[in-house]
Amino acid sequence: MIIAEQKPLDEIMGLLGSDERVLVVGCGTCVTVCFAGGAREAAIVAASVRMTSKLNSVPREVTDVTVQRQCEWEYLDEIKEQISDADIILSLGCGIGVQAIAERFPDKWVVPGLNTTFLGMPTEQGVWIERCAACGDCVLGITGGICPIARCSKSLLNGPCGGSEDGHCEINPDIDCAWQLIYDRLSRLGRLDALLELQPPKNWSTSRDGGPRKITRDDLRLAAEEE
Amino acid sequence: MEGDCHYLLGNINARRRVEFVRNLLLEIGLEASRVQMFNLSSAMGGQFAEYAAKLTEEIRQLGPNPLRKDPLYTTETSTGE
Repeated sequence: MIIAEQKPLDEIMGLLGSDERVLVVGCGTCVTVCFAGGAREAAIVAASVRMTSKLNSVPREVTDVTVQRQCEWEYLDEIKEQISDADIILSLGCGIGVQAIAERFPDKWVVPGLNTTFLGMPTEQGVWIERCAACGDCVLGITGGICPIARCSKSLLNGPCGGSEDGHCEINPDIDCAWQLIYDRLSRLGRLDALLELQPPKNWSTSRDGGPRKITRDDLRLAAEEE
Repeated sequence: MEGDCHYLLGNINARRRVEFVRNLLLEIGLEASRVQMFNLSSAMGGQFAEYAAKLTEEIRQLGPNPLRKDPLYTTETSTGE
């Protein structure tokens, strides 16, 4: 899932400026599961903004609403009247949600309440860790299900660097060396030969090197929407 | 007592959540000391009264909640469903 965390309240207050009618929009998908921008967090942020504004004598009306997914028009259309009534939208969605609102409501000012941080998973309650870099050319089939792009600090593709020490990364001993993990796992499963196969250079054009990415599936498109 | 909860580690979890709320109050601009947590057993009536008196006195010195009874402070929310 997409992992995000809330911006400090001070920064949020700065982004809101002097706009009076604020609509806090939570998202019911990834940021709900990582406790950053779901209905509960939207209500807490709305109350916090309300209280801070009152303490600073800033006139303000704050309401909150949470949609199932901020990154799809159909869910945003459900709240178009509330958006229309607001001077400013504080999105608690990921960066995609913020941009979806900006694109769907071109006349409305929208600001982010979260920092979108990475694609990852919880390893225990309250702890999230990066697992995927969305490089667009998955190598997990060679590396035993452990991603060297997301989990090696240097995104190396040819084994550990000299900074790997006792299975830990030189940038932080709390980080496991991804290549040590890969080697140990392949070794345990008797599949080390997978690493001996020659691999062509990785195609980074599917990653950010190729610019903003897009997928088009003709089998799913509707004839009327084709351009 | 800390870590010696009927719900095992429940009061340690509770303390972390109380800390979250105290930090939130500070961010908002209110005094964190308006929310405090004390560990007590149900058999410690005297100690309970002591803590209650201490907290009451501290909050009395802070004065009333500045956000109370204000038309700007609405609690209106909606769910969009």
